[in-house]
Amino acid sequence: MNDVNEHDDKHALAGEYVLGTLSFAERQALTARLERDPELARAVRAWEERFFPYNALTEPLPPSDFLWPRIERSLGQSRPRVARPGVWQRLGVWRAAAGLGLAASVVMAALLFLRPAAPATPEYMVVLLAPQNQSAGWVVQAANRRQIELIPLGTFEVPEGKALEFWTKADDWQQPVSLGLVEPGQPIRLDLDDLPPLEDNQLFELTMEDATGSPTGLPTGPIEYIGRAVEI
Amino acid sequence: MDGERFSSSQLNEGLVKRALPRYATLASTITGAPRGSMRVSNLSTEFDYDDTLARCARGEHDALHALYRLEGARMLGVVQRIVKDRGMAEDIVHDAFLNIWQRAATFDAERGNARTWIFSIARHLALNAIRRRDRMPDSAFDPDELEQEDTSRPEGQAFEAFDWQTGQRMDDCLKELEAERRSCVLQAYVNGLSHAEIAEHTGAPLGTVKAWIKRSLVRLRECLA
Repeated sequence: MNDVNEHDDKHALAGEYVLGTLSFAERQALTARLERDPELARAVRAWEERFFPYNALTEPLPPSDFLWPRIERSLGQSRPRVARPGVWQRLGVWRAAAGLGLAASVVMAALLFLRPAAPATPEYMVVLLAPQNQSAGWVVQAANRRQIELIPLGTFEVPEGKALEFWTKADDWQQPVSLGLVEPGQPIRLDLDDLPPLEDNQLFELTMEDATGSPTGLPTGPIEYIGRAVEI
Repeated sequence: MDGERFSSSQLNEGLVKRALPRYATLASTITGAPRGSMRVSNLSTEFDYDDTLARCARGEHDALHALYRLEGARMLGVVQRIVKDRGMAEDIVHDAFLNIWQRAATFDAERGNARTWIFSIARHLALNAIRRRDRMPDSAFDPDELEQEDTSRPEGQAFEAFDWQTGQRMDDCLKELEAERRSCVLQAYVNGLSHAEIAEHTGAPLGTVKAWIKRSLVRLRECLA
């Protein structure tokens, strides 16, 4: 393919990203590149515009009646609500748990990524993605429904005076519950003793809050990473 | 196991036959271009997508709800076609609307069309989800489930069975590609098939499929230039 030069390569890569034929790793790598390569980002947008009309080849599928209420509930979570003191007072406990869980988490991370078929396969897994670019930032895995581990996939810059707060909410809960502050790049292991057992589709997210945690006990800052539990 | 599952031509024929009734209805919607696309363009003129996104950026729930009522079903159709799992598809539409809501302020009408932006968010979430699933080792899956998944994927080779054209300039460029290569491109875009899945469906070697798609993209871009 000598006639396919480097310039064409960039546009072809952008095209493959839009078509969807790239592997997960290639997609992640490209998404990361988009931010610092405006030419590539333009190429992606151009392919998106070109192929967009072919979405009309697909028949519409009416969503279930539950979908909009569910979206609306999730919207509510990202906005400040009435203070509910007491929830984030558990932060200290979670911080301590973070230290204890570190070693185990590293082992689990190694099992997960190096030997995926190992018997220690977790029962539930959540990949937390950045809403802005859909890049995976953290993984939550649970060997059972009472213990979860939050494992960073990379580093994350937290501005001065801010902290990442970890939240969860099952479908039928009224509100999300804080699981405490997390240190960027640090794994954390938590026991869900005070909460109902982990369930399928349970939401997990990390929001940017004040250094001492959300003042209201509910997420107030932007969602940095979000994902839902999948039973394995 | 893999070979047996995918290369059986009997299975493929079965899939195509079963697919036909569905494509017949789809074809009538699309060739009659009219119903599908006219409705879209009428709505586009009545519904101000740019303004709706601006209102979302200001935190107006009603704006997102209006967008959902207008595009929710269409988006779910697109996502379902890619992920082939209704529960997962609804999750992705949920996440897509949340994304639209959170990122509405970053939408720039100067750089692109609002509907394209909205659907791209959903498509990329869907593609990330299935490519992440692909990455899991086979042993993590119940083989029966995979078998089921395959029989529910009747799209193979059927693109020439109906009129795929949308009245856009891109149609002419796609027409210039050989039928088999055009089919690969459309299979990837509409059905979310990976290189490997296209190779399985067409019976062409993986390397050939990769080269076809890359060459097709280069030629499409030249044609559109």
